Amino acid sequence: MTPAPDLVERISERLSALPLVRPRREEALPIRVDRRRVYVLPTGFGLFLGVMLLAMLVGGLNYNNNPALLLAFLLVAVAHNSLVRSHLLLSGMRLRALHAEPVHAGQPLRLRLAFEAQGRHERPGLELRLGSAHARFDLAPGERREVSLSCPTARRGWMRPGRIRMSTIRPLGLARAWCWLQPDVRLLVYPAPEADLVPLPDAGGEGAARRSRSSGEQPDHLRDYRPGDAMRQIAWKSSARNQRLLVREYEASAQRELELDWFSLTGLPYEARIRRLTRWVIEAEREGRRYRLTLPRQRIGPGRGPEHRHACLRALALMPDA
Amino acid sequence: MPEALTPGLRRWTVLAALACLLPLLPLVPGGVAVLAMVLGLIGLVSRRPWPAWLRALLLFCLVGYVLASHGFRLGRDTGCALLACLLAIKPLETRKLRDAHSLLGFALFAPFAAFLQDQGPLSMGLAVPAVALVLVVLGLLAEGRDSAAPILARARLRGIAFTLLMALPLALAGFWLFPRLASPLWGMPENALGRGGLSERMTPDQWIDLFADDAPVLRARFEGQEPARRELYWRAQVLARFDGRSWERGLRPEDRTPQVRSLLPPLQYRITLEPTERRYLVTLDVPLTSPDDGRLRVDGTAVVPVPISRLTDYEALSAPGGSIIDPPTDAERLELLSLPPGLNPRTHALARQWRDEVGDDDIALVSRALQWIERDFSYSLHAPPAGRHAVDEFLFDSRIGFCQHFSSSFAVLMRAAGIPSRVVIGYVGGYRNPIGGYWIVRSMDAHAWTEVWLEGRGWVRVDPTAAVRPERVLDTVQDLARRDALLPPDALLPLRNLADWVRRGWNDFFLGFNAERQAGLLRPFGVDRASALQLASAFAIGAALALALTLWLMLRGRRPPPDPVLVAWRRFDRRLARAGLARRAWEAPTSFGQRAASVFPGQAETLQSLTSRYARHRYAPGGLGAAEQARLIAELEAFRPGRGKA
Repeated sequence: MTPAPDLVERISERLSALPLVRPRREEALPIRVDRRRVYVLPTGFGLFLGVMLLAMLVGGLNYNNNPALLLAFLLVAVAHNSLVRSHLLLSGMRLRALHAEPVHAGQPLRLRLAFEAQGRHERPGLELRLGSAHARFDLAPGERREVSLSCPTARRGWMRPGRIRMSTIRPLGLARAWCWLQPDVRLLVYPAPEADLVPLPDAGGEGAARRSRSSGEQPDHLRDYRPGDAMRQIAWKSSARNQRLLVREYEASAQRELELDWFSLTGLPYEARIRRLTRWVIEAEREGRRYRLTLPRQRIGPGRGPEHRHACLRALALMPDA
Repeated sequence: MPEALTPGLRRWTVLAALACLLPLLPLVPGGVAVLAMVLGLIGLVSRRPWPAWLRALLLFCLVGYVLASHGFRLGRDTGCALLACLLAIKPLETRKLRDAHSLLGFALFAPFAAFLQDQGPLSMGLAVPAVALVLVVLGLLAEGRDSAAPILARARLRGIAFTLLMALPLALAGFWLFPRLASPLWGMPENALGRGGLSERMTPDQWIDLFADDAPVLRARFEGQEPARRELYWRAQVLARFDGRSWERGLRPEDRTPQVRSLLPPLQYRITLEPTERRYLVTLDVPLTSPDDGRLRVDGTAVVPVPISRLTDYEALSAPGGSIIDPPTDAERLELLSLPPGLNPRTHALARQWRDEVGDDDIALVSRALQWIERDFSYSLHAPPAGRHAVDEFLFDSRIGFCQHFSSSFAVLMRAAGIPSRVVIGYVGGYRNPIGGYWIVRSMDAHAWTEVWLEGRGWVRVDPTAAVRPERVLDTVQDLARRDALLPPDALLPLRNLADWVRRGWNDFFLGFNAERQAGLLRPFGVDRASALQLASAFAIGAALALALTLWLMLRGRRPPPDPVLVAWRRFDRRLARAGLARRAWEAPTSFGQRAASVFPGQAETLQSLTSRYARHRYAPGGLGAAEQARLIAELEAFRPGRGKA
């Protein structure tokens, strides 16, 4: 339900190419919106009303008709004040933080922007727009609010959110005030995983050697639950007895390490290798296995859990372009 | 791309447009007004848009009807009626945000159009709420959600009041200081309602409608001495040409100030003339100098270059009981004596007979005619209709009529006797409002009298109507008014006086403001008549000051409501202080709590809990949750020192 950009939004897009328009480069967070970077232009309706008011003024002056003149001047003043108020709605805003959980390329990235405002005004009807993404929010005085914008991702690696437009047409819809937020933030986008399910490379590595030795029933080893452990590893009965979550660690599964090796995928093109490895990292993590990622000039692991997974995916995302 | 309107928003939009239509309705023909209102209401309740062909047909019919009802003349009134119709039709197709915006934009034009025709308090009273409603709806549209319920919420009303108040400084700066045009860029609308004005043609019997109209025509205030009521002859037009039935303006008189002989000291006064849509100015008989923006003619009338379509304010000087002594030119003399041939033979015969009897003595002839009128004639608004020899029938048969009959017949009689004479129309008398001390002259005070040229004395005013003996005055304007009124005319007099006084203040202060008065605005600053440049800079300064005030008010914003916990804490504090335990300025809440606990051991636990929770609310990161805050407030409010459980 993204509303189409109106006239002013399209014009503001054009104008932003001008060297005068602030900000001229990316800025470090937090970004404070001061009055010098808020722009206001009348909307189409505002222009229409302006023409009407001009006609009223000229008519009133011509006939020296005082009620008509007072009405016209009152409406002119209301229109003028609404421009100023639109401006005031934006100036004094602060973008404190911007972050996003990494996603795989192709999935929408949910930007989370934390705003707060100085001053004692209510700030209703604020709009954010980034590309085709659109969000509306209100901000009470002193309130801190997180707004999310989902923006599409295309490729792995660092992504810069680019210019976000914060705008409003309040209070009367006669004018749109806007400002550009261009935070100096890098957001990570993981590589897209290979679409087909490819079996994990179970052969090779120390794990394979050990598995034959430990294929028998090794005694369970219980340890405390750590976030990221698979559900089926939880030892429910022991947990109930001990009043805390315990995880059963099979000697075998603990030992059976996966070797996810860049150099074993010689037949594939460069990006396809990255996608394959990404898929394997996801699968290995889902099966709760330890794995090691070997890339040109770096080895990660062996390990398991969200941090390890993130480290692997980050390394994959940041592989230099072929 | 166009956003559809929710039903709630649509309803409010249409309602605002209809509210704007209201001030226009009393000013358009009744049929158009009823049609517009009905269509508007249909638009308000109809759920689905009417098909385009039906709307087009409706539009076509309405435009045709409006044009026909205005006699196919295009002008201000036709424009107003057309605007009313278009505004009424537009809601039928309002479905999208864009439609709503254009509807509201046009709707704002309706009060403006109404002001062009009527500047009274009714239009103003209807227009102000309508404009406020439009602004509210614009705000709703900008919010873009369906807010049918909270529209009249107090916050919204406060918001719109705030918006209008904020706009006032700038609006007033523009109103007072924006340079006004001394003369209009384009002409005044021609075919306006001929309200109140006296026509340039007088036919006996024609003024009955005028006598029933108590609309004010002018208000006058005298500087210094005031003349008696019966001395107040308000001169508007002089009619010199007679065609047997009607009187018209004759040859164009010269544009120069007449010479006036008068025995009494001149009177100075100020007149506020209501719009007449005619070019004459009304002055007290006989004017000595030209009013501010008019020209005085040699026949003692004052005219302005364009018809008066708005309230006009001027000062004038008159000689009461004076007479103009400029002799008529030969051509004028011919006109002043001419009568249509073959009409009114009995009058001609009587005039010849009297002339033979009195010889050259014009004055004797005039007084003889007046004596006859005093003896034999009666006054009544109900005169029999006149036939071909109207003057003969009046003078010899009916002998009953009102000022038009008297003045017309008297002038004809004089002409037949060889005395140059003419009819003057205007007003006589007036009502003196004790509140404010000024005179109101109404339409029903319209009057016609005669002037005769007497060698050696000049133009002498003769009012044959006034010669009728009081007991023969049968049916007057007052009777007419009394018959129509529901209440006795004096019942509401104080109220009416007050209302007219308010209206006059409104006229004076607000409606009468123009380029002339604007130029005098800077007088307190030592500029006697401000030039355009001075006015422009005054406007710039005024607007800048107004802007600064507005910005300061806006930036100041509203004070945020105080923390309710803090409010409760202060009261708790005060109660303890009254109980003899004042918190020292440097004492933190918790240490104060401990001290209080030792003073009131019975309530130690409560006191410590309250103070520590308050400290947590104020100083701990995160503070207390909403529910805990509410509980803390309730407990702080409930606490009474020394009364707890033992």
